[in-house]
Amino acid sequence: MMSSTLSLSGISKSFGGTLVLNNLNLDVAAGEFVSILGSSGSGKTTALRLIAGFDGPDEGEITIGDRVVARSAGGKRSAFIAPEMRRVGFVPQDAALFPHLSVSDNVAFGLQGLSKVARVARVAQVLALVQMKDFGERMPEQLSGGQRHRVALARALAPEPALVLLDEPFAALDPELKAQVRDEMRRALDLSGSTTILVTHDQEEALSIADRVAVLREGSFAQIGEPREIYAAPNDIALATFLGDSVIIEGRVVGDKVETALGALTPLNKATDGARGKVAIRPENFYLQPNATGPGLVVGRQFFGHDAMVEVEIHGIKIQARANGPFAPEVGMRMTVWVRGAVNFYAD
Amino acid sequence: MTKNIKRRPPTLVLLLAVFALLVALTPLVYLWVRLGEFGIDKVLAQMLRGRTAELLGNSLLLASSVGVTALLLGSIQAWVSIRSNLKLRVFFGVTAALPLAIPSYVSAYTYTALFPGFSGFWSAWLLLSIGTAPYVYLAVSAALLRSDPATEEVARTLGAKPWRVIREVTWPSIRPAAVAGALIAALYALSDFGAVSILRYDTFTRAIYNAYRSSFDRSAAASLAGVLILVTLLILFVEAKARGGYQSAGGNYRKAVPVGLGRWALGPNLLLSAWVVLALAIPAFSLVRWSIIGSSSADLGEIIRALVNSIGYAVSGGLVTTGFAVAIGILTVRYQSRWSSIFGRLVWLTHAMPGIVVALALVFLSNRLLPGIYQTNLILLIAYLALYLPNALSAVSTPLSQAPKSLDEVAQSLGASRLSVLRKVVLPIAGPGILLATLLVTLTVLKELPATLMLRPTGIETLATRLWSETSVGAFSAAAPYALLLVLVAGIPAWLLNRQIRSTLRQELERE
Repeated sequence: MMSSTLSLSGISKSFGGTLVLNNLNLDVAAGEFVSILGSSGSGKTTALRLIAGFDGPDEGEITIGDRVVARSAGGKRSAFIAPEMRRVGFVPQDAALFPHLSVSDNVAFGLQGLSKVARVARVAQVLALVQMKDFGERMPEQLSGGQRHRVALARALAPEPALVLLDEPFAALDPELKAQVRDEMRRALDLSGSTTILVTHDQEEALSIADRVAVLREGSFAQIGEPREIYAAPNDIALATFLGDSVIIEGRVVGDKVETALGALTPLNKATDGARGKVAIRPENFYLQPNATGPGLVVGRQFFGHDAMVEVEIHGIKIQARANGPFAPEVGMRMTVWVRGAVNFYAD
Repeated sequence: MTKNIKRRPPTLVLLLAVFALLVALTPLVYLWVRLGEFGIDKVLAQMLRGRTAELLGNSLLLASSVGVTALLLGSIQAWVSIRSNLKLRVFFGVTAALPLAIPSYVSAYTYTALFPGFSGFWSAWLLLSIGTAPYVYLAVSAALLRSDPATEEVARTLGAKPWRVIREVTWPSIRPAAVAGALIAALYALSDFGAVSILRYDTFTRAIYNAYRSSFDRSAAASLAGVLILVTLLILFVEAKARGGYQSAGGNYRKAVPVGLGRWALGPNLLLSAWVVLALAIPAFSLVRWSIIGSSSADLGEIIRALVNSIGYAVSGGLVTTGFAVAIGILTVRYQSRWSSIFGRLVWLTHAMPGIVVALALVFLSNRLLPGIYQTNLILLIAYLALYLPNALSAVSTPLSQAPKSLDEVAQSLGASRLSVLRKVVLPIAGPGILLATLLVTLTVLKELPATLMLRPTGIETLATRLWSETSVGAFSAAAPYALLLVLVAGIPAWLLNRQIRSTLRQELERE
């Protein structure tokens, strides 16, 4: 394995008797972008705060670079490095620019060790990196939401941190702005060669921006992997519905096929003969073929322009299928429903 | 958007507001007229006397030392109760605001009654600092609750040690509030009359009263009052500049993680325990002790008469002042224009007049122009109006702004006149808030000392004046029931009603 910039091993943390994080293990390679994806209350913010050093774990060890920054056993800390000594860049959800300092002074805050000339040069360099180089004299309240986030990123990058932590940095932005700021920040992070951890509850965001996604559920990592892999092969049925839309139908394994209301489907994963369980199918994996005598009846349609979500009743169940917008079938039409490719089967 | 539409306030409202403003500003203006009449030479001679310089030195020394002490104390109290992990922080938060329930002359009385030698600069400094630190505490608490704790965390990740975080991130975010609070504390010390008089520390207010009492030549008192107004105005302007602050973006901040003080906890614990003893335990002990001693010889009829008079003045003063404040508030809040903002600023100017100065100016005015009103209830009401119009205006402004302006327009489109819009829409919505404001002003009038002392009709006594006269002859046990009643009837209810105290404490408690 490549040398890790960040490594969590056996991290647990409780608050007032409630276990918030339970035995987390994660290795992040240098230059990698990993997002920790979890709904609210999953413990993702706690994980970030432990990495930043705002709090210490009860169990386990955190390594940044080749330094152990926190090590605890049974609630006792045997090693703990304060946040200001960790060389971690932090971009919080609301950007949290220092309201009394100009953009330049915000960015220069972490550059105390440098000479004045070097500091000015570094500020200009990182502001250029986030495309804010003409805004140095502005005060934070004169910036738009997206600009604030870019400055917050520049501020975090300025001291050349070993690791950059992003805490839901796009949550407060408008949907249109969100995608743009996200792309710009990913580009700046790539240019600076940073290792990055992004914490988010937005699965689309996690899947689109990260090299790897770690799904955090009730304090444990439910799955860690590349976005495609996580989307195509979720570890369990709950993950399948959490990561995008899925149609869930009952099935039974017969031989190497799964018998369902939609016919015999090929399971992607290993299935024991005779097992009962559920099959998860992505709406885009259905193919609807108009057929006047077909078993399916279109009972609803939601039109989104580029595509449409079509609701089909077939053999007593309802499925949602994604169809090409302009050519989506009309309500009342009869259909034959095909399932493309293999499906994920989860035994009960 | 609608700036070209002419929105004229109803004539009745305008007339009431103008009348109130004229009455409130009359003392200020008339004092300067009288100064002119005394002759510039005479006034200048008075002002340039060594005695004036000495008083100025005393007053400024007291005001600045009280301001600085309040700044430090109040900021520490706010930080400890909002950001630290001290076990007793909620208790310290509640007790930090509690001295607002004790009028300064009452706390001066409780100390002198207990410690006979308690007088002079240090005594006045201690008691006024305790009495005014709550202003800083409340302002800084609000600023801390408003500020974004994530900025402090970011600063840590950028390599700043805790001390640098406090100096360069936390302090700038609370500085405007802390400085404004400290200037209010200094202003309070400058205009305080009761405490410095009981503690026999010579400041302007005490000297003005003595000059007024002891000589027929009123030019000395008037000259001193003139200097006092100038100093007060100066502080007021600085305060207005200091107010405001930086806008933090957003608003839904994550709650701050309490800072573990570890072995540093001893300092704040000791300081705040000392605070509880000095600010609350000693006054409470003294009040109870002397009340028990005095209860055997208390003249119940006398006490009830004073209480009834106090309440009578307070209620009428509260109603009149708030009533006029509502008229001005309608103008400044609901009919915003260049004129109405000038109006608001003129009202604020009356802040520059300590009670003793208003009283003196009204004495002059009634002697010369309206001899009929000297030492009548009417002149007292005018004094209360002049003194508390700014407080009442700020208290009614929030409720008056609660009814959305679109309601005015809807009602007018339905055919209601501007006056009936006010009567049927704005006032009913603002009603509860205005009632609360009336109650607060009433309780403030109840505690008023210097103007009541100088202007009240002969033979009429209130709780405050009785406390004053008994204390000045050293009759501590006779004074006790009045002091106790003042705290119970005026101080504690006012403390409970104070919106800022309630909202700060509620937010602190919600953090639990």
